[in-house]
Amino acid sequence: MVVKIYGHAIAPTVRLVAGVCKEKEIPYELVPIAVYKGEHKTPAFKQFQPFGQVPYIDDDGFILYESRAICRYLAKKYEEQGTLNLVPKDAKGEALFEQAVSIEASNFHPFVSGLAFEKIIKKHQGMETDETKVKVLLDNLNAKLSAYEVILGKQPYLAGEYITLADLFHLPYGTVAIEELGCDVLQDRPNVARWWKEISSRPAWQAVKNGA
Amino acid sequence: MPLTIYGSPFSTCTRLVVLICKEKQIPFNFVLVDITKGEQKAPEYVDKQPFNKVPYIVDDDGFALYESRAIARYLIKKYANQGTPDLIPSDLQAEALFEQGASIESFNFNPPASGIALEKIVKPLLALRTDEKTLERRLVELNEKLDVYDVILGKQKYLAGNKLTLADLQHLPHGTLLFTNGCGDLFTSRPNVARWWNELISRPAWQEVTTYFNPVA
Repeated sequence: MVVKIYGHAIAPTVRLVAGVCKEKEIPYELVPIAVYKGEHKTPAFKQFQPFGQVPYIDDDGFILYESRAICRYLAKKYEEQGTLNLVPKDAKGEALFEQAVSIEASNFHPFVSGLAFEKIIKKHQGMETDETKVKVLLDNLNAKLSAYEVILGKQPYLAGEYITLADLFHLPYGTVAIEELGCDVLQDRPNVARWWKEISSRPAWQAVKNGA
Repeated sequence: MPLTIYGSPFSTCTRLVVLICKEKQIPFNFVLVDITKGEQKAPEYVDKQPFNKVPYIVDDDGFALYESRAIARYLIKKYANQGTPDLIPSDLQAEALFEQGASIESFNFNPPASGIALEKIVKPLLALRTDEKTLERRLVELNEKLDVYDVILGKQKYLAGNKLTLADLQHLPHGTLLFTNGCGDLFTSRPNVARWWNELISRPAWQEVTTYFNPVA
C-alpha cells in the first residue's frame, strides 16, 4: 500500500514530506485537503491531526503527523534505498545531526515561517503585512545566517560532511523566503549561498518544489 | 574529566540538560556563563556556540555539542543502560510517535510558551516594555494548543503514548516558568493536562534540578 500524504500540495510542510519521499524513492499518494476552505479544521480531519495542521500520513494504517517526524520515520523505514545516511547512526554523527536539526528549528524556522505568515498568509486572509515585524524577522534571519556562514565555511553541510535531513528541513520555508519572497540573505554569504544552491538544486526537491 | 555543562541558571535550555543528567544519573561539572553580563557574546564563547546561546557541553572525551534538545538526545542514547530507561524508544513506530511528540513540543508549545516568558520576564529584566498585544496573542495561541493537549492526554498517558519519553520532559523548563509567571491555570484548568503536568513536576529528577539551582542553606 502506497503511503498517503494528506495535505495541500503547495503547503511547505507537505512539500517537505514529498521531497523526502523523492529522495528515498518512496511512492506516495497526495490526498488533497482544501485548506483554503478550512478542511483542516474540520472534526473529520482533526480526528487524525488534532492540531488542525497539514500534513499527516497514513502508512498502511499507521497515522503520523508533524512533518519532521514523518520525514525521520520514512528515512528510517527506508534507510536502505534512495539517498543514504539522511539520519546518521554513529553516536557522534547522530549527535551532530540532532544539533543541526535543532539549529533549523530554533534559528531558522521561526524567522522564515514568520516572513511567510506576514507576507503571504496574511494577504490570503485579507490582513495587512506588518512591515515593522518583517524588518525584525529579516534582521534576526540575517544574524542567524551569519552564524551559518561560519559553520558552512568549515564543513559542506549543516551536520558535517554529508547531506542529512537537517539540510533538507530548510528547503520549503527557505524556498519561500529566498525564492518566492526574494529575501536577499545570500549576498555577502558565499558559504551559505553555496550550500543553498546545492541543496535546492537536488532533483528530489526540484520535483516537488512547485507542488507535492 | 566528567561531562562539563556550560550554562546559566536563568536558562530554561540549561535546565533541560541538567534534568537529563539527573534522570540518567550522569555526573557533571557546571561552568557558569554569566548571560547577565553578556558572556555568551564574547568571541571565545561564540567560537564554541556560534549562535551565542547557552548551554553547550564538552563530554569527557572532548566532544562538544550545543542545542539543548540535541544534547539531551545524545546523553540519553549514550547512557541508555542507566537511570530512567526508554526515554527515546527504538521500535520504528514507537520512535516515530516519540518524534511526533518531540516536534509537538518544539513547534506547538515552545514558541508561545517562550514568547510569554519573553514578554513577562525577559523584557522587564532588560528594562524593555512588554508588548501587551503580543503577550495576548501568545496566550490565546497557547490556550488553543493546550486544548489539543487535553484531547491527546485524555486518550493516552503521555505525549508519545503510554510511556514517558523525552518529549514530555522537554516541557518542564518552560512549563514551570509559566507557573512562575502566574499562568499556571493554563495547565490546572485542563484535567488531563493537569494530571500529566503533576506527574512531571513530581519526578525526583526535576526536584533535584530545582534544588541544584536554588540550594537551601
